[in-house]
Amino acid sequence: MKMKKSDLIVVILMYVVCGFFGVLTTGLKPEAQTYPWFVICILFVLTTLYVIKMAVAAKKHGVESGFNEIFEGFLPKQFWPIVVMTVLYVIVMYYMGFYVATVLYLVGTLLYLKIPKWQILIILVVMFCLTYGAFTLFLKVKLPQGVWMKALLKLLK
Amino acid sequence: MLETLGLMGAGFLHALTPINILAMAASTAIGIIIGCLPGLSAAMGVALLLPMTFTMSADTGLIVLGGIYCGAIFGGSISAILIHTPGTPASAATAIEGYQMTLKGQAGRALATACYASFWGGLLSCISLYFFAPLLAQLAMQFKSPEYFWLSLFGLTIIAGVSSKSLLKGLMSGALGLVLSTIGADPLAGVPRFMFGQNSLYEGINTTCALIGLFSMSQALILAETAIKQRAKAAKVKDKLMIGREDIKRITPTILRSWIIGNVIGILPGAGASIACFMGYNSAQQFSKHKEEFGHGAIEGVAGSEAANNAVTGGSLIPMLTLGIPGESVTAVLMGGLIIQGLTPGPDLFVGETAKMTYTFFAGFVLIQFFMLAIGLIGCKGFAKISRLSDAILIPCIVVLCVVGSYAIRKNMIDVIVMMIFGGLGYFMRKFDLNTAAVVLALILGPIGERGLRRSLLLSGGDISILFSSVICWVLIALCVFGILSPILMNKMEARSIAKAGGDMDADEMFTEDHVDYDSDHIE
Repeated sequence: MKMKKSDLIVVILMYVVCGFFGVLTTGLKPEAQTYPWFVICILFVLTTLYVIKMAVAAKKHGVESGFNEIFEGFLPKQFWPIVVMTVLYVIVMYYMGFYVATVLYLVGTLLYLKIPKWQILIILVVMFCLTYGAFTLFLKVKLPQGVWMKALLKLLK
Repeated sequence: MLETLGLMGAGFLHALTPINILAMAASTAIGIIIGCLPGLSAAMGVALLLPMTFTMSADTGLIVLGGIYCGAIFGGSISAILIHTPGTPASAATAIEGYQMTLKGQAGRALATACYASFWGGLLSCISLYFFAPLLAQLAMQFKSPEYFWLSLFGLTIIAGVSSKSLLKGLMSGALGLVLSTIGADPLAGVPRFMFGQNSLYEGINTTCALIGLFSMSQALILAETAIKQRAKAAKVKDKLMIGREDIKRITPTILRSWIIGNVIGILPGAGASIACFMGYNSAQQFSKHKEEFGHGAIEGVAGSEAANNAVTGGSLIPMLTLGIPGESVTAVLMGGLIIQGLTPGPDLFVGETAKMTYTFFAGFVLIQFFMLAIGLIGCKGFAKISRLSDAILIPCIVVLCVVGSYAIRKNMIDVIVMMIFGGLGYFMRKFDLNTAAVVLALILGPIGERGLRRSLLLSGGDISILFSSVICWVLIALCVFGILSPILMNKMEARSIAKAGGDMDADEMFTEDHVDYDSDHIE
């Protein structure tokens, strides 16, 4: 089996994790250092073994990209906007509360994914009933009100 | 013995309270819906709905999770039979004969067979749950700190090895999870570690947030990256949703064989329903008196596959409940559900007051099978329509449920951010063939292993020979070696089963790909 260049990313990530947590561990009190060092060493040894395996594969069978296989059918114009909208959803939720952010997020993503408007309306109603029924009524969870919404409600009072 | 019988009886009485009955019906239906949607897995469904069980009593919460698990395993067969796309990998073998029966106008017969076989497979698997779980729990009571250290390593080697394409990558995933499990206060000295100024990380990374991120959020990202395809139209069920006496007589030996296969596979940590369905299918073919029907819609093929994959459910709970070792991703998520309820998986579940809860869960698990049969038979046609729900609708809905679910745990926005980070990590890991289940398990088992190791060393004054001081330690070390070597064996078993079953049905591929490249209108 050929060595995959894409695996280099995995290896680099693992070494970065080892290095990052290794540096942080040196700043801990001595009694709290033992176990973190133990698991960091395990990760380091396993990653190194994988590097050796990759080197052997490269020498015996050659090298291939691996990225084509991983990102086959990947649509950046669909994926990244959804990721951005999802991150924005959490930020907007912090300021404007759960329900406003959820309506904006659902409408935004569903329109972007070309779902007919009448279906969007049904989805909004279903999701509202589900979250309100399950979390607010059943679990008694006070969903995020949002910093701005709280301030607005205070002003109105 | 009498005490156990008393607990069993009390378990059924508790399980039959109105709230538990409602929980069984609702969770089984939700599980079936999740199972029949290609692209959603049982683990993802259980992770997504985990936060809803917080405020429930422990037994009701576990019954809900059990219902989703069983329902999802069965639900996969509906889309496998009607649209030739298994909802979960556990139904990949069902699609072979089930869809052929649909093409012959026997969709109702195929669905009824799947319901009936799933019911018996699941119900019979409860026998081993009742019989083996207390026995194994008694053995686990002899475990001390060194044994717990090895037990945590055993759990990791098993799941890291079996669920990964590359053994080393699986072990690396487990080690990464162990590193992440050190975030939070040191369990013995209470010294804060790697908390980045966040007090909410004092107790470590919230396992439920990590679960939701790794299994559910990452799935939404996976669905979002490729073109949204139109799913094939489900075939109309023209015949009656029932099987006759002749059929029952024909499939009974198959169901019994598949029950044993599924149960053994379930108890073995690391093996799962996707292996069991092919093994059940193969044994059905091997012992059938109508071998010529295989490949053209053999009823035994559907029964063999479905009875085996549902027989896995009861068996797979045994190592998780008694030793705290989940054998696959769904049971790892279920274990998260136990921990959320403040329970420690292991022998303690079978002692004192907790035993009542455990036996109520067992009884609930038995009753769930009846609900699965009833809801399956009544709602098959409706579920088939749901299975066509577009990924474009699923993606934002999953994201909203992930966000609200992770927030509901501690009413804390930090938990939402942790979930999002783990969602990104899960996506990366799945793309690069790393193992998300191993990370979750490491987050759960890491603190147990750390306590075991450090307490052992404290007791022995730093002498590591204490880790090799008992027979149980050596047995567990041998099992760790087995855990590392077993993937090779399991891969061979699965490859052989798939090859025997027809060759082209790769469970993982079928799970992720939408098979819509054929015109299904001709079967209407």
